[in-house]
Amino acid sequence: MQILLVEDDFEQLEPLQGILSEAGYTVDAAEDGEIAQWLISQKDYDLLIIDWMLPTISGLSLCRQYRLSGKTAPVLMLTAKDTTPDKVMGLDAGADDYLVKPADLVELLARVRALGRRVPNWQGDSLRIADLQLHLAELSIERNQVKVELSPREAQLLEYLMRHPNQVLTRNQLEEALWECGTEPESNALTVLVRKLRHRLQILGAGDWIRTVYGMGYRLKPEIYEW
Amino acid sequence: MFNRSRRNLASWFTLAMGSILVVFAAVVYYLKVVDELEGLDRLLYKKASVMVASVKLEMHDGQQQLDLEHVPLLGSMVQPLPDSELVYAGWYDRQKQLVQFFGKVKSDRLLVSGGFDTIKTDSQVWLRQVTLPVYQHGLLIGYLQARMPMTAMENTLAEFRLVLAIAVPITLAVVALTGWWLGGLAMQPIRHSYDYLQRFTADASHELRSPLTAIINNAQYGLLSKSADLEGQRQRFQKIFDIAKSMSALVNDLLFLARYQGHLPTEFLHKIDLNQLLAQITDDYANQPDAQHLSLVAKLPSNSITVLGDANLLRQAVINLLSNACKYTHAGGQVYLQLFTQSHWAVIQIVDNGIGIPETDLPYIFERFYRVDKKRSRKTGGFGLGLAIVQQIVQSHGGKVRINSTFKEGTTLQVFLPLY
Repeated sequence: MQILLVEDDFEQLEPLQGILSEAGYTVDAAEDGEIAQWLISQKDYDLLIIDWMLPTISGLSLCRQYRLSGKTAPVLMLTAKDTTPDKVMGLDAGADDYLVKPADLVELLARVRALGRRVPNWQGDSLRIADLQLHLAELSIERNQVKVELSPREAQLLEYLMRHPNQVLTRNQLEEALWECGTEPESNALTVLVRKLRHRLQILGAGDWIRTVYGMGYRLKPEIYEW
Repeated sequence: MFNRSRRNLASWFTLAMGSILVVFAAVVYYLKVVDELEGLDRLLYKKASVMVASVKLEMHDGQQQLDLEHVPLLGSMVQPLPDSELVYAGWYDRQKQLVQFFGKVKSDRLLVSGGFDTIKTDSQVWLRQVTLPVYQHGLLIGYLQARMPMTAMENTLAEFRLVLAIAVPITLAVVALTGWWLGGLAMQPIRHSYDYLQRFTADASHELRSPLTAIINNAQYGLLSKSADLEGQRQRFQKIFDIAKSMSALVNDLLFLARYQGHLPTEFLHKIDLNQLLAQITDDYANQPDAQHLSLVAKLPSNSITVLGDANLLRQAVINLLSNACKYTHAGGQVYLQLFTQSHWAVIQIVDNGIGIPETDLPYIFERFYRVDKKRSRKTGGFGLGLAIVQQIVQSHGGKVRINSTFKEGTTLQVFLPLY
């Protein structure tokens, strides 16, 4: 899951980014409203964590602009403003959740998971497409009672594909989703990762679910056998 | 909240002024009634006196006989008085029995022995009555009673009541409006200080919460992280330590601001040689990392300049000013620390050729937590309390601070302290 984290205080930003990355999310961080705005225009995030009091553009206007642009990813407002009118204003500006600082990181992670479950193919604590299940907590895939373990990177790739089933995803899109903003993956890194994931899926008889769309990118299309 | 207080102030003002107004109107009305009544009594007495003067006592066959024939209204030998206004006149003998009368409403027996009364007739008309005992040669010969309607006086009073009934509510309305206006005026400074306090509380809570959140986040990340990187963990502790230290500085500043309100008590004041103090501060500060990138020059006079004060507090004020000047001056820039006298003041002047302060920010520069550029100041470690502390220290010494700044050219800060 790709997360945009907007927090102007680096001392707070750094541990938040660290814990979210360790939890398996791809986290882009922005220290002010303008940078956040630019990042939003460049990438489609699955979740935004926004501080209210930011230099240049406030978190509140950022949230409003995001909703006005028609984007639907959940927004979590993380702020020191703790009065009821503040919470009402934050939620009315388009935030889906509101957490008051100093927040417990365990609670923050739980809320991030909860907001991440808002995709149609989410079931229990796993993503499901056709008869294939991806268990995000234990980093494994399961089909017909056969389980195969995945590396964190493979799991991230499969999660992104499963969150956008049947869509043609460009190489660029996939690279942006898996690598944090500003980090440059090696030219064949994605190809290698896709090959590894196909190999894992092969064990479950789903190797050809990831289709290569020549000149464009990849697409996850489950093969439904009709008997 | 302010509107409610303003309404309360206006209501109390209107109530107080209104009560005074109503009491005043009542007193004026009472005096008017007394005055009117006196006028009426004077008139009635005059008419009764004229009648009494016409009473004659004659001797007939050794007996005294009363002749009322020449008394106006009562007697037949005189022309009736035109426009006399009297509705009744009666003569009573010494035994207070009615002898002769004029008018409709009569009373056969006199019930009073003299003076003025107010009576009401059956036709609901108020009458003023005077009873005069009449003496001749020192002997009581009878009583004259005369009555006059009070209609004219009642009409005058009714008109006066009408004037009051219109004027008092109008004045009350004007008083209420004035109260509302005065309430607004009175609320203004309260509103200003309330807004300032609100802003200060919000800023203080934000400034305290940010490092607290950073400490909690870093500590919890350290606890939750599965990473076995010892160097990373050590750096995290270092970060927690640094944040806690800066927070402790902030708490100290806030406590300082809370502690030194108003003038310093005399037992804290000692004679201080400013030349010596400033020379020492410049020597110490020149070695600080803040001052390494620029030239810090002290221009001190040869004669000694002495003030009364607390050396530690004055040192803190000068260091705050130097620290600001050095932080916001580019590498290679210059900061001058000067000392001179001006009439009864010792002036410490700090001049830099740094980035300066925009004109729009100058009026607020001494406010607590005010920062020209929040991000820049946070990176340089400031909380926006330095100048507030300087001002408070200088004011507690009976002095004043002045600032002159041109954006992108530099700043001059002057501290005026009363000479010893």
